Amino acid sequence: MPDSVEKEIVSIIAEVSGFDEEEIKPDANFFDDLEIDSIKAIEITVAIEKKFKISVRDEDVPLITTVKHAVELVNTLLEQKAANARA
Amino acid sequence: MPGLNANEYDAVIIGAGIGGLVCGCYLAKAGMKVLIAEQHFKPGGYCTSFKRGKFTFDAAAHSFGGYRKDGIVRKVFRDLGLDMLLNIKRYDPSDIIMSPDYKISFRSDVAETIKDFISAFPLESDNIEKFFHFLNNPSPISFARMRNWTFRQLLDHYFLDNKLKTILAFPLLGNGGLPPSLMSAFTGSKIFTEFLLDGGYYPEGGMQALPIALVGRFKELGGELRLSCLVKQIVVRDGKVAGVHFENNDFISSRYVVSNCDAMQTFSDLLGSEVVSKEILNEIETMSPSLSMFVLYLGVDNNTFQSLHQPGTNLWILNSYDIEQIYSKINKGHFDEIDDFMMRISPDNQTILAFVNAPFKSRAYWTSKKGKLTEIFIKGIMRNVLPDLTKHLIFRDAATPYTLYRYTLNYKGAAYGWSGIPSQSSFSRYRCPSFINGLYLTGHWITQVQGIPGVIYIGYDTAKMISRK
Ligand SMILES: Cc1cc2nc3c(=O)[nH]c(=O)nc-3n(C[C@H](O)[C@H](O)[C@H](O)COP(=O)(O)OP(=O)(O)OC[C@H]3O[C@@H](n4cnc5c(N)ncnc54)[C@H](O)[C@@H]3O)c2cc1C
Repeated sequence: MPDSVEKEIVSIIAEVSGFDEEEIKPDANFFDDLEIDSIKAIEITVAIEKKFKISVRDEDVPLITTVKHAVELVNTLLEQKAANARA
Repeated sequence: MPGLNANEYDAVIIGAGIGGLVCGCYLAKAGMKVLIAEQHFKPGGYCTSFKRGKFTFDAAAHSFGGYRKDGIVRKVFRDLGLDMLLNIKRYDPSDIIMSPDYKISFRSDVAETIKDFISAFPLESDNIEKFFHFLNNPSPISFARMRNWTFRQLLDHYFLDNKLKTILAFPLLGNGGLPPSLMSAFTGSKIFTEFLLDGGYYPEGGMQALPIALVGRFKELGGELRLSCLVKQIVVRDGKVAGVHFENNDFISSRYVVSNCDAMQTFSDLLGSEVVSKEILNEIETMSPSLSMFVLYLGVDNNTFQSLHQPGTNLWILNSYDIEQIYSKINKGHFDEIDDFMMRISPDNQTILAFVNAPFKSRAYWTSKKGKLTEIFIKGIMRNVLPDLTKHLIFRDAATPYTLYRYTLNYKGAAYGWSGIPSQSSFSRYRCPSFINGLYLTGHWITQVQGIPGVIYIGYDTAKMISRK
């Protein structure tokens, strides 16, 4: 599962930023390295929410700044969702 | 170009709107062989001018923003050498809002604008400072946080005074077609920073000067423009674009296809159900386009207005402090009950352009309403601004939503692409649809930033995405 989350996120970033998937390193900063501006920041957040059927809380939005952090966030949210579904 | 036959291109762009032209220039500059196909006999889309007798009218767009030192339009014009070709003047104030109690001016110096607001609403002075500070220091993260906010929520976050909130929201109805309760906070904020705080720019010779300069540059860079050339199909083979078919059935092959025309046409007609899944077509069916406009064009005798109102300034007449109600009357077509509109005396002092948002209706509806609405509108201008207007009137005509559709094929005559409600922002994921390799969308149907600055940004960004491949 974690692997595919990373793949999906890289593919979203590639689609939104126009950079090739190979160019998108886990630690690359979206704003400094991948030319993500306000419009694209919204697009990425919305795309992640749609793709994984989760909703990112306002205070967590600043975590979506590198692939690594975004993957961690999505995994946490997916686990919470699964736990809620079990409860 | 080496290796390509006459009917083969690296990229074909459908539509010579400002978005398509900017994209075309950058692709040609990157060394690609580019064709722009435009169905109208002149380039520019909503950014065109036309002549009637001695009068020149801008058809729709009548000024632009985003031309500050680090603005996107300035950057693009500089990159393309258009800043040297065009004589661009800024009108100060760019906009004036007149309500029953206040007259607020948007000045080139933002500090002056802030002062104006504070002297009108002294109790809100701290909030006004904070709001403008927020707008002038945009942070991607704060906008991503507010992705589901409406502009109403943003206004409520900063202000208490309802009149102030209405004054701030009114130009957004004109420049974005939505009341604050429906418009996304991001789109509304961008209209502020790109249209109002940095607006009022105008090229000498009228808005048509922009597409003319872009076409000139595009051709110098080796690009080819075909006018009166309607594209009727985007051909896709094995999940990849192959080229386009024109109305006369000619086929042009191309590695990339960029659609600058409306998104509904692109997906439903040019691609069609053989290429686009039912799910996506259904999704698009349920989306709502932005409102259209009713545009009044008036020609007046010489120098009538020099002493009255500054030519080149957008004058917003607001008589009711209830934008939601104005919006509802617009949607119902109750124009005789609306006394709120935008008007502008042209920089050459010869013409007036005025508009009010309007819903799309059939050709027959507008044919029957056009004359009456023109009269109502002229009376509104006389009541609010120019009592002697009819004495000086030499020419009058109007464009209805149907006219706007007919000239540009924008779905339902939409003035700003899809309507800027937060839930529609995810449409931008179709900028380069993953199910069709080589297809890109550009222009106002695929951006959340409205108008000329928005489509210049997206035209540039689309070319950048393609060039990176
Ligand atoms: C009344 C009005 C006033 C406005 N005022 C302002 C303003 O003052 N400032 C501002 O910044 N913005 C303004 N706007 C908005 C702005 O004009 C538009 O958002 C912008 O010009 C859109 O540019 P575009 O490149 O996306 O598309 P368009 O201008 O719509 O161009 C699309 C082009 O594609 C062509 N086309 C369509 N289908 C086909 C086909 N099948 N084959 C070939 N060609 C095709 C069309 O003919 C058209 O030329 C206004 C809009 C309206 C309606």
